[in-house]
Amino acid sequence: MSQTGSQSPDRVSTISTWQQQPDNIVDGAESRPTVSVGEHSLASVGEAGPEQKSEQVTSERPTDEQILAQENQIKAEEAQRHSLIGGIEPLSALAKEYEAGSSVFVNKIKTVEASYRAIRRARGDGNCFFRSFVFAYMEQLVNLQDLPERNRVVTCIRQWEKKLVEAGFEQLVFEDPQMIIIDQLNSLGTLDPLKVSVLESNMLDAELANQVVMYFRMLTSAAIQLRADFFAPFIMGMTDEGLTVEQFRRRCVEPMGEESDHVHIVALTDALQVPVRVVYLDRSLNVMAGGFGGGDSSAQVNHHDFIPETAPSAATATAKPLIPRVHLLYRPGHYDILYPI
Amino acid sequence: MTAKTRVMKEYKEISRSQADEAIELLPDERNILLWKGLIKGPQESPYEGHIFELGIKVPDSYPLAPPAVHFVTKIFHPNVHFKTGEICLDILKTSWSPAWTLQAVCRAVLALLSAPAPDSPLNCDAGNLLRAQDMRGYSSMARMYATRLAAMPQGSSIVEQPHPSSLNTFKEDH
Repeated sequence: MSQTGSQSPDRVSTISTWQQQPDNIVDGAESRPTVSVGEHSLASVGEAGPEQKSEQVTSERPTDEQILAQENQIKAEEAQRHSLIGGIEPLSALAKEYEAGSSVFVNKIKTVEASYRAIRRARGDGNCFFRSFVFAYMEQLVNLQDLPERNRVVTCIRQWEKKLVEAGFEQLVFEDPQMIIIDQLNSLGTLDPLKVSVLESNMLDAELANQVVMYFRMLTSAAIQLRADFFAPFIMGMTDEGLTVEQFRRRCVEPMGEESDHVHIVALTDALQVPVRVVYLDRSLNVMAGGFGGGDSSAQVNHHDFIPETAPSAATATAKPLIPRVHLLYRPGHYDILYPI
Repeated sequence: MTAKTRVMKEYKEISRSQADEAIELLPDERNILLWKGLIKGPQESPYEGHIFELGIKVPDSYPLAPPAVHFVTKIFHPNVHFKTGEICLDILKTSWSPAWTLQAVCRAVLALLSAPAPDSPLNCDAGNLLRAQDMRGYSSMARMYATRLAAMPQGSSIVEQPHPSSLNTFKEDH
């Protein structure tokens, strides 16, 4: 394709060429492999003539469906290695992963061990924040049989129904997943309450679990939309293209498997009024405010609390929920659940 | 199971409202996961006055995975493969989200007909014409294929109706 600029300058008018050869019109319109814009010059328009079509280039490009199918196959292989949500493991299991690796991680894990006893892993499929958050939150409700909090969050989810529609979601796309979540929550306090083992098997069931993820993605997207002015500057700054709020919601929040960032976490914790602590396990050596750990700065572990801003007019006029309910471990690109001591 | 439940919901919603007169969605009589979509070429596009058929296949993993949509009617458009009818549209691929419905997908395809994206063409001939700013060439090719290969709406009102605002790029070749 790239050489075409130098040839047949007399054939710039595609239309007249095609009109002379009506029998070839259909073939002539057949497409060629996608190439980058840079390879084209204006003169390449003339190249559209039927006699120049070349069989070997037309047949080799895999269709987007094939590319998608291959991606799905890679995901399926990943799925065989890690379940959607794992069992509870001691932190020493995490330390083992890094035994042969960076001492920064090993030291930091020791610091984390001072505050946390265990970890539960989520599959690294881009949905790990949502999966970890929802599982940790619901598991805690189940363990504590925290009915006041249950009542609050069920009311909260019901109130979001209208706001989701306002944010452009059709009722039919979220009503089933919403019911799945509310039904599980409402079983608490009944004769047949949700148990952790059932929660585990529900979250291992791809169909159920993904509907839950899908619902909270929509909720997050709606929450971003409803506070678009607040989020716009962050979203603008996060990407090279300077995405708009609308583009960000469509590309980075609503599609399954898109990784979560600060914006997602702020929006979701705020929407549900559930405070979250994220502990950062990374290579950084700098000491930041809010970190914890001993005098050795290399073992200092940073964390960030996502505390929802309670709207002044909110029905929940009770005390601001300051203590994190959910604790997550962040390693670059991935979230897992942490269990405090 | 979820795919069928969800599609049934969409079917009911479509039969209830049929809100968009430019789109007609018809499920296969024997298989609710196979649909035919009929879309009316948008006003002020070279496809105006013609009806294009889309083949829609809903996978079992729908709505987590997108439906497979292709043009059954041949169409000359930079983002549609001329032979296979494959559509290059982000929401049918990587940007798919379960928040989309079949109706919303058809709306997105209509938007693509109105606003082709020539920088990532599946049909390079159409893409090259547009990239060369040859609106006249692109429009007449697109219109010629539409006339030859697409259906005309029966008793339609949109065929002869000129749109009030006439300052647009497609008008210059009239």
